[in-house]
Amino acid sequence: MKNIIISGLVILILALVSFSQDLTGEDIIQKVNELINVQTSYGKAKMIIITSSGSKRTFIYESWSKNKGEKNLVRYLEPIRVKGQTILMLNHSDDIWMYFPRTQRVRKLASHSKKQKMQGSDFSYEDMGSGDEFINDFSPKRLKDEKMEGHNCFKLELTRKPDSNISYSRLIMWVIKENFYPVVIDYYEKHNPSSQEKRLVQSDIRIIDDIPTAMKMVMFNENDNTQTEMELLEVKYNITLEDSMFTERELKK
Amino acid sequence: MKRFIYLMIFLICFLPFLNAQDKLEIFGYFESQALASKIKNNFYQLYTNKLRVDLKSQISKNITFAANFDYITYHGKTQWDILEFLSSNITSKIPQGMESFYVIPFSNRHFLDNAYIKMRFKYFDLIVGKQQISLGTGYVWNPTDVFNIKDMLDPTYEIPGHNAMRMDIPLGAASSITALYSPGDNWKDSAKMIQFEGRISHFDYSLIAIEKIWRFHDYTQFDYEILNFSEVSEKRQLLGGSMAGEFLGLGIWAEYGYNKMEKSKDFCELVVGLDYTFDFKTYILLEYYRNTFGKSNYEDYDLNDWMRLFTAEQKAISRDQIYTLIQHPATDLMTIGLSSFISISDSSFTLAPVFNYSLSDNAEIIAYLNFSFGREGKISGKNMGNGGMIRLRIYF
Repeated sequence: MKNIIISGLVILILALVSFSQDLTGEDIIQKVNELINVQTSYGKAKMIIITSSGSKRTFIYESWSKNKGEKNLVRYLEPIRVKGQTILMLNHSDDIWMYFPRTQRVRKLASHSKKQKMQGSDFSYEDMGSGDEFINDFSPKRLKDEKMEGHNCFKLELTRKPDSNISYSRLIMWVIKENFYPVVIDYYEKHNPSSQEKRLVQSDIRIIDDIPTAMKMVMFNENDNTQTEMELLEVKYNITLEDSMFTERELKK
Repeated sequence: MKRFIYLMIFLICFLPFLNAQDKLEIFGYFESQALASKIKNNFYQLYTNKLRVDLKSQISKNITFAANFDYITYHGKTQWDILEFLSSNITSKIPQGMESFYVIPFSNRHFLDNAYIKMRFKYFDLIVGKQQISLGTGYVWNPTDVFNIKDMLDPTYEIPGHNAMRMDIPLGAASSITALYSPGDNWKDSAKMIQFEGRISHFDYSLIAIEKIWRFHDYTQFDYEILNFSEVSEKRQLLGGSMAGEFLGLGIWAEYGYNKMEKSKDFCELVVGLDYTFDFKTYILLEYYRNTFGKSNYEDYDLNDWMRLFTAEQKAISRDQIYTLIQHPATDLMTIGLSSFISISDSSFTLAPVFNYSLSDNAEIIAYLNFSFGREGKISGKNMGNGGMIRLRIYF
């Protein structure tokens, strides 16, 4: 009986190993994409910018997302200087509007504004992810598996597609084998594929509503020697969000 | 001063009570600003302290009350003699003894800038009271905005409130109709506006019609009875539109307004702009503005043109202008940039290096210098002087 159980386990492990070895870069990035693009979500996050001199700036914002990242609304809560500033992103961030409560003005922004730093942080709006950019903007290639941040990981190289306007030439991504969560991403400069610009490390991964979620993210800027920490204070998935939430009327609420 | 004290007493007594309702938010900012200018051989400085107190309360799920009070004190040179900025061929025509009338005073003031109630119904929003009216897609100039004139050196500064009733009716996810009525002495003197906003593909657009009485002064006629220059008013009917979108990766916008005037010649205004952010985070913006009310020959600028420009009664006196801005985040906390105004019509320009630094989460410094390059009598003529501004703002 014991032998049967051991044989069964060996077969199962071999099957899993064989399954993970069979996965191509496309398969893995597809699974990553499915995992990070939840149907609907709500999050409240704290963002701390740490400059090279050690100064800190703290922001708190709420965000709502619908249709797997196709519609997004981000509203700043703190500090008071930016409170009420709201960003509406539709069509996977192809259409962006920003509302400034002090002037009560809504400004339509072109997609190039995604390259701008998010409140001066090391995250650009582009880095915050909007839908299918890992699939649409990059071609994946599987590299040799590696251990990263204590996890057994698939290692992928994502190279920018020629027609993409994304700000990076390539990404190196470590994806946890167990749950397909991208634990570390290295970003390389657009015009110098050998020069690393930033590294994103995601940690404190918890299962929330059956979905693995990193409660902490740190973006290290290798060029400027700065870093930005992002901490999720609250997160909910697969909630009911009306389409009317993602309109100019809601933007100015 | 008495009124200020009464207001403070009111705030001190009344606000804690309102705060107890647990729904009232009190916030705002204090800013201290120094403005310096070297005109000909004179150096002037004007210091401003401004306290803005905002109140906001969610009265119920669908009703919001918001208001703000401004308290502003001025120090230093608080009487600016406009004639110092003007060329001798204009000042020489001013009758003797009238020179002292061409002075813009900066007097301490406190006022209720905005105070309105916003009601949200199922099919529309209604805003009643003194409120900001932001119109158009232009960054520096807004041809469709007959309510406000932006400061060219500081175009994102908040605009003053106007007493109005405004109704916004959403028509689906991407369209809406806005109707606005700003009461005057009677229906005829009141401003009326209707605007349709929509979206085609990745482009937003709007069509707008406004009727408003345009009030300005004749700065060649002094009325000794009211001790001010004579007021002139004229009905202005505007038909216009705006759009904003993206083309070849560039952000683009345009705005147009045709102004039918009751007495004077009709005129039109046009703005076309574009912007772009490079991968290295540098941001550029360019905006072209044409106003056929302006003049194409600087020798035609007269006293009324200059005075109306300085007193913000008129958007421009030069027919064609360009604004440019280049901005770069030098560090996580500091942004540096350079803006310029080029008056194509009179071949003069102003350069303004700008600087923004975040001192803490709720404190920032904004500064700019301005240098004028042009012959005397032009929009950016050397007689406009060189100078700068530094502003420290603390939010609470």
